[in-house]
Amino acid sequence: MRLDLHTHSIKSDDGRAKVENYCQWIRSRRIPLDGFVLTEHRQFDLESDYSSLATDFGLTILKGSEIETDYGHVLVFGVTPALMQAFDFSSIRTPLGSVLNACNRLGAIAIPCHPGRKRVGMFAHLEELGVPEGVKIVETYNGGSRGDEDTIAGEWAGKLGYLGTGGSDSHIVSHIGRCATKFSSKISSEMELVEALNLGTFEAVKPV
Amino acid sequence: MEEIIELREKFLNKEFDEKLFEIEPDTTIEFASLCGETSARFLDRTHPDFQTPPIYLCSLMGARTIPADFPNIGLGMDAGKGVEMLRSIRPGVTLTGRTHLHDIYEKTGRSGRMVFLVSRLELYDPNGSHVANSDTRIVMRERSGQ
Repeated sequence: MRLDLHTHSIKSDDGRAKVENYCQWIRSRRIPLDGFVLTEHRQFDLESDYSSLATDFGLTILKGSEIETDYGHVLVFGVTPALMQAFDFSSIRTPLGSVLNACNRLGAIAIPCHPGRKRVGMFAHLEELGVPEGVKIVETYNGGSRGDEDTIAGEWAGKLGYLGTGGSDSHIVSHIGRCATKFSSKISSEMELVEALNLGTFEAVKPV
Repeated sequence: MEEIIELREKFLNKEFDEKLFEIEPDTTIEFASLCGETSARFLDRTHPDFQTPPIYLCSLMGARTIPADFPNIGLGMDAGKGVEMLRSIRPGVTLTGRTHLHDIYEKTGRSGRMVFLVSRLELYDPNGSHVANSDTRIVMRERSGQ
């Protein structure tokens, strides 16, 4: 199944897309996606329940987060209340090491996103901070990438032996599905997503 | 650059401006018309539910948008506006607007670190009822070298 692992809704301060409109767009434009993950900036949306939308549109709608660390932006999947207590999601200076440790301890997974981007991508910080311990997966396809950002991401991921995911990084409806991740198994919950990512049974796809 | 935690502690939710706004029917009708509104409740002063278009409230600004003693972080740029209507406002009233900083947060992007301020103008009718909030979002980009 294909999931867009990186999307933002109006819950993010810069998001302009309503979740229902994402669903309508996917179906009306026949975007080849089976679902998407909402990764709101610097927060985890505990309140929203998209289960009825998911049923109505036949889509898997999951929730994660995009946090900001000393190595740039990082997607977190498998967020639980315990994980939210482990570090400050709203901070822009959380050490990546503490995020990775907390995720390992609490059954979540952290994936640096748009790692080829200057300032907010992990690979821009390697010279200064070194290669971080514990990263296994990075986002190699990002729908918001410019120029050679995805090329840099793919090359570094290859050098360091990282697996790659894809996500659109959509903030507006028409951008969803620009990149995605293809899984060999069916995923219907955040925990199944974490499991599939840990198993490594996926590939980044672009364009979908 | 200033620490966000300190800025939040010092400035959040502290009123720093109060101003009166006369909501004049001629003005709101012209505004609605120029915005392309077609609903009679915004255009016809005899309509039983005649009211101010919510977006009109974005044009109301206090004497200050940020506190006078807020540090000079950098050039402030418009980062969007938003209105929350708590009840309809019939033109012809005078509203009292009180302004405070509702949120201060930071984020990082390709251009570096940015600080966002949400300046909230709370509007009250002559009875003291809270009728609307008008938020102005301002982004301040970190100067290079900071």
